[in-house]
Amino acid sequence: MAIRQGLLALLSQGPRYGYQLRTEFEASTGAAWPLNIGQVYTTLSRMERDGLVAPGEQDDQGRVVYTITEAGRAEMERWFGTPVAQSDRPRDELVIKLAMAVTAAADVRPVIQAQRVATMRTLQELTRAKRASVEGPAQRLVLDSMIFQAEAEQRWLDHCEAVLTASPQTQERQR
Amino acid sequence: MSFDPVVRLADVSRVHGDGPQAVAALREVSLDVAAGELVAVMGPSGSGKSTLLNLAGGLDRPTSGEVVVEGRPLSGLSAKDLAGLRRRHVGYVFQDLNLIPSLTAVENVMLPRELDGVRMGQARREAMAALEEVGLAGVAGRFPEEISGGQRQRVAIARALVGERRLILADEPTGALDTPTGDDVLQLLRARCDAGAAVLLVTHEPRYAGWADRVVFLRDGEITDSTLPLESAR
Repeated sequence: MAIRQGLLALLSQGPRYGYQLRTEFEASTGAAWPLNIGQVYTTLSRMERDGLVAPGEQDDQGRVVYTITEAGRAEMERWFGTPVAQSDRPRDELVIKLAMAVTAAADVRPVIQAQRVATMRTLQELTRAKRASVEGPAQRLVLDSMIFQAEAEQRWLDHCEAVLTASPQTQERQR
Repeated sequence: MSFDPVVRLADVSRVHGDGPQAVAALREVSLDVAAGELVAVMGPSGSGKSTLLNLAGGLDRPTSGEVVVEGRPLSGLSAKDLAGLRRRHVGYVFQDLNLIPSLTAVENVMLPRELDGVRMGQARREAMAALEEVGLAGVAGRFPEEISGGQRQRVAIARALVGERRLILADEPTGALDTPTGDDVLQLLRARCDAGAAVLLVTHEPRYAGWADRVVFLRDGEITDSTLPLESAR
């Protein structure tokens, strides 16, 4: 998905080997997005086919340095200039689970409580990773993004609980 | 880490009013906070968070149960001894900072030590060290209205840390701060904790609770859930 544009962004800083691209990609995004070396070489060869990167000569260790082309720079700039569409993101299982629990007239509160503890645990672990992070601002911002997402989920769970407590159906069932 | 908690709440209840009008703000809550531990309390408004914090710091007395601070049960203390214990062992950080506007930053931080009877020169040295710790030695001579909201909150934290207090109670200390500044505040509390203090933090913001070793959820005056302590947190 965004792997090719991410690699282009790294190559815009200068020519790089495949292995180097993998290391730098992970350093920027935190361990949030591990890449295997196969993905890197597959992506590079497709980008070569599409004229976005150009390979150099193989060195004596068999390594090839890749350079970004003009078309590659244009593609990277197009990516930075285009907002991410909401529909490109995966569906959220928790949302579906809670909606189904309400629809099936199950007791939703234990579902909410169990999720709240689990999500808080995630927040604690992310915060600890952030405290330990020494990789610089890119990685810190990736962790911050995951922290904001976990926080949004936590707030939404509180909201669900408040709405369900106030709803006539819930009060009916508790009688 | 010491196994003796810095603060212990044992079956603590707090009821406001009596007879049919009685309202239980807290029901038989038990909670220990050890040296080096940061515990966050979360819950909706009215769940008893602030009551819990006020009881832990001896600002309010429980209807039943016992609060023990640094090994001393608070129920047996006279009002005067309780005030002394609060000043010497407990640091408070509140949302509405309570800095005194006519005093400079360093004078605000010195104040609790002067109340303890520490001589002015000594109190000033300690206050400067505390301001240094929160990165504010440069604004020591400024008045609260001359510094930013984030700096004011750090002054309030320095005031809570000055001296040898091992119990820090923080009630929504990130108040209206933006998130990077709020993170700085938590970073400071965390550092203090890692240096051996016990911190009890009340917050309604999950992102700040994430800094804790343990998160306790309050509902209607009772602890309903709690995350297990993170292992090898240090």
